[in-house]
Amino acid sequence: MTGVPHPRYEVVIGLEVHAQLRTRSKLFSPAPVTYGAEPNHSVHPVCLALPGVLPVLNGHAVELAIRVALASQCHVHPQSIFARKNYFYPDLPKGYQISQYEEPLATGGWLDVRMPDGNGGERKRVRLHRIHMEEDAGKSIHDAAVAGDATHVDLNRAGVALLEIVSEPDLRSPAEAAAYLRALRSLLRYVDASDADMERGNFRCDANISLRRHGESRLGTRTELKNLNSFRFVEAALEAEIRRQASLLDAGEKVVQATLQFDPASGRTRVLRLKENADDYRYFPDPDLVPLVLSDAQIERVRKTLPEQADARCERFQRQQGLPEEDARLLCESRALADFFEAAAKRHGDAETLVNWIRRDVLHALGEHGIEIEASRLTPEALADLVERVRQGGVTAQSARALIPELVLSGGDPLRLIQERGLEAVSDTGELEAAVDAVLREHAGHVERLRAGEEKVRNFLIGQVMKRTGGKADPAALRRVLAQRLGEGGS
Amino acid sequence: MSATLREDVERVAALARLAMSEEELSRMARELEAVLGYVASLAKVDTRDVPPTAHVVPLVTPLRDDVPAPPMDPGLALSNAPESDGSSFVVPKVIEAEEEG
Amino acid sequence: MPAPLGSLRECREALDQGRTSSAALVEQSLARAEAHAHLSAFVRLRAERARAEAQEADRRRAQGEVRSPLDGIPLAVKDNLVRAGEETTCASRILEGFVSPYTSGVLERIEAAGAISIGSTNMDEFAMGSSTEHSVYGPSRNPWDPARTPGGSSGGSAAAVAAGIVPMALGSDTGGSIRQPAGFCGVVGVKPTYGRVSRWGLVAFASSLDQVGAFARSAEDAAHVLDAIAGHDPRDSTSIPEPAPSCAAALDGDVAGLVVGLPREYYAADGIEPGVLDAVREACAQLERAGAKLREVSLPHSEHAVATYYLIATAEASSNLARYDGVRYGHRAQGAHSLSEMYERTRSEGFGAEVKRRILLGTYVLSAGYYDAYYRKAQQVRTLIRRDFEQAFRGCDVIATPTMPETAFRLGERTEDPLRMYLSDVYTVSANLAGLPGVSLPCGFSEGMPVGLQLLAPPLEEARLLRVADAYQRHTAHHLARPPEPA
Repeated sequence: MTGVPHPRYEVVIGLEVHAQLRTRSKLFSPAPVTYGAEPNHSVHPVCLALPGVLPVLNGHAVELAIRVALASQCHVHPQSIFARKNYFYPDLPKGYQISQYEEPLATGGWLDVRMPDGNGGERKRVRLHRIHMEEDAGKSIHDAAVAGDATHVDLNRAGVALLEIVSEPDLRSPAEAAAYLRALRSLLRYVDASDADMERGNFRCDANISLRRHGESRLGTRTELKNLNSFRFVEAALEAEIRRQASLLDAGEKVVQATLQFDPASGRTRVLRLKENADDYRYFPDPDLVPLVLSDAQIERVRKTLPEQADARCERFQRQQGLPEEDARLLCESRALADFFEAAAKRHGDAETLVNWIRRDVLHALGEHGIEIEASRLTPEALADLVERVRQGGVTAQSARALIPELVLSGGDPLRLIQERGLEAVSDTGELEAAVDAVLREHAGHVERLRAGEEKVRNFLIGQVMKRTGGKADPAALRRVLAQRLGEGGS
Repeated sequence: MSATLREDVERVAALARLAMSEEELSRMARELEAVLGYVASLAKVDTRDVPPTAHVVPLVTPLRDDVPAPPMDPGLALSNAPESDGSSFVVPKVIEAEEEG
Repeated sequence: MPAPLGSLRECREALDQGRTSSAALVEQSLARAEAHAHLSAFVRLRAERARAEAQEADRRRAQGEVRSPLDGIPLAVKDNLVRAGEETTCASRILEGFVSPYTSGVLERIEAAGAISIGSTNMDEFAMGSSTEHSVYGPSRNPWDPARTPGGSSGGSAAAVAAGIVPMALGSDTGGSIRQPAGFCGVVGVKPTYGRVSRWGLVAFASSLDQVGAFARSAEDAAHVLDAIAGHDPRDSTSIPEPAPSCAAALDGDVAGLVVGLPREYYAADGIEPGVLDAVREACAQLERAGAKLREVSLPHSEHAVATYYLIATAEASSNLARYDGVRYGHRAQGAHSLSEMYERTRSEGFGAEVKRRILLGTYVLSAGYYDAYYRKAQQVRTLIRRDFEQAFRGCDVIATPTMPETAFRLGERTEDPLRMYLSDVYTVSANLAGLPGVSLPCGFSEGMPVGLQLLAPPLEEARLLRVADAYQRHTAHHLARPPEPA
């Protein structure tokens, strides 16, 4: 809730996200980028930091970084510098990380985020401080079960391209933080820059949080929470840290600058490292690289490849397809979903009906099975065909809707399925008449009551005919035949 | 030789992961002091509005195509390792206080 | 005692005329190396492979395939250029036993040219030094006087050429490490424009200053070697994209009207050994007689060159050498109980005193609180030094200076006095700071030891540089002098 999460203190949160860029090779090394490979199966002399190797910048990584910067309204700097961040760690083979320091790729920018329960539908602008490129480190495994009394080092991930996105401390609650992360994730996927999948570790978040009295303009001492690897953890960790800091301040103590880790089992944050001695990374421009110089023409070229922005598309759906805003927004939450809808709408003009099916059946099925639209085997064309067949009366809506989960999971041609399984709507008058007659005979008592004026009995009789026809009776035809058999005029 | 220089040498030796004996530290501090005094002469040079040299030969940023090279044979990757288990590099256990960002 | 090898040109002519074979040259070279073992020029020979490559070269030649003017001719390679399957140590304990899985760009080109390395030469550890005394293998010696240093850090390569073991050798030059040993040993040593030769596979000392270069008996020979190794390498982001024009093709011996600049700051008489000054002045007069004009120029920021160099070089080195941590290759201290202990003991055991000194200074220069006043300031002064040269070259075509203010000093004389050692690099470091090509040529003797004349040219003008050097050598015979044979 963007409402006040703490009565006595204002919460100030800034987030630092590291997102892995979707490149096939690493940022400065030509080694392949893999997931789940055997240790040290995706390495090359450059990312092993062998004597004599040199870095060469991946052009595609630059393009993806520029896309993200443009999509978030940042200023892309015509010149930026790669700098070395020097420290020792076994999964940092060179003893320094190539990153950007004083002159990053982009600064400024913002995301307009829809906050939960807040602002009455207005979005909150969360400003970005900077975006820059850097290499990832490898993995150090300390797990005693795997490594015993030692640490095992796997360099597959060393050198993979990362984008670091730093927000201004504009967030005011854990819920806002989570909303911002979702919006950022959406943006990264929208421009195809990153898979941004927290479970797979390619979207990592560190949070900086401080408290201050309401109305105070100076920032309180902030602490850093690291290694938050799911949205749930982010909120829980921040809530825990708010409690910890608040109780310190309530007791008149000071918050000490530190790095903390969240322990989900206890629901508490604990200090990993005090920040008294700030790390001395000795940043300096990497002399093995030249400045990254980008011309206006290059940046414009990237701008043209950007997919239509979510907001513009949402607006267009409302304008062109006549969709209500809420429906348009739902579709535009994900580029893949918006693409799906548009493809279906191309084939079947009734946008609103399609949206209903998407919301009620397709998304429901996806949710049930925990998969995203990108993984759905139901094609937009298949949905369009199915919707049309229902409209024509060739199949009942009920039968058609029942097919959706299967189509989503396994794919298939719905029209063929209808035929194979004999799901065609029964609208053949002869068959219907036979079914109606049988029901009227069996439930003579209900027929009496209907004739006496109890209208609600009609639905019971309709239901019985449906049952008898295995749900395949076309409802409109059924009503007609029933009325006719009852001797009701007109209809 | 100033006490702060001696402290600086200790701090810097730790940053560079070099262990030094008392005697080595003293000697290094003396040598550094001599060299640094000499180097402080740069402070007198007027460098207002002078950009630092980024590179001696101005170059257009070279970019690499995003084509992955075939990965190195893992055996070869580990072939110089002082200690490995055949698949990972093995080092003495990292204790939490040493963990980096 | 096997005879000294001839120059590159002499070897080539002998091969072309069938008077010798690659196999014979390689044997002669190996035998000569053995006979001069006391110089410790080599740290490692690759006799078997050299012989195999020689056989290949002879077979190719018999079928009319000659790859280059270097084909089939032996050379020596400084121990900081990697080759797949072979050991490279940079004369450091921390790389003991390191076998590279890949080959440097330069050695790929040397191989393509058909030249045959007979082994790796001694150097100051990680190229940090001016005397080849800071080597885990012990010092190399000057063939002209084995009690003296051959210079450094490419002392082994210089000694190997001076002693007639090989007609050519590769070295690296960061602050004078090719030119100074060339001067001390009486051979030609050339450092190209920064970026002209690939650094892929050159173990880094100071990234913005390092360049691979060549030793040879003559400027003409050096031109052929440079032609073989120069050119763009996409694996090196600092590599010049344009193809290098041929140096050998430019050697027309013509210096009529050429303007030779003499920087007044380099000729202050009280800093230079009198014999050195005389030899260099005579060399300039010789150029004048050949048609060149002499003109005084000024390089006003020269007095700051050494300070600027040391701040930048050590800072970059401190970072470049962080990878030597015992994790993935090289030496690792035994029995460490924690990671920190492993790091500290590995690096303290693995690095020599000079390397540690420079790492400490470099770390200090970059550390919080000092970056702006030291490193950044040095990069600014570097710009001023570069501008000095740009300005000077508006009024001249090449610049001539002594390579060193003195001749080779005695072994052990300077090791306790790092400051004095650093100051003696005063004439050579500016070329690295400004990225200029430079060459040292033998131009006479002072008290029995060789004197080096240094020529500098604007960036990308190696061809001009070697043309002037070659023209000088058409009128003089200093480069033909050879040290006395060992007893």
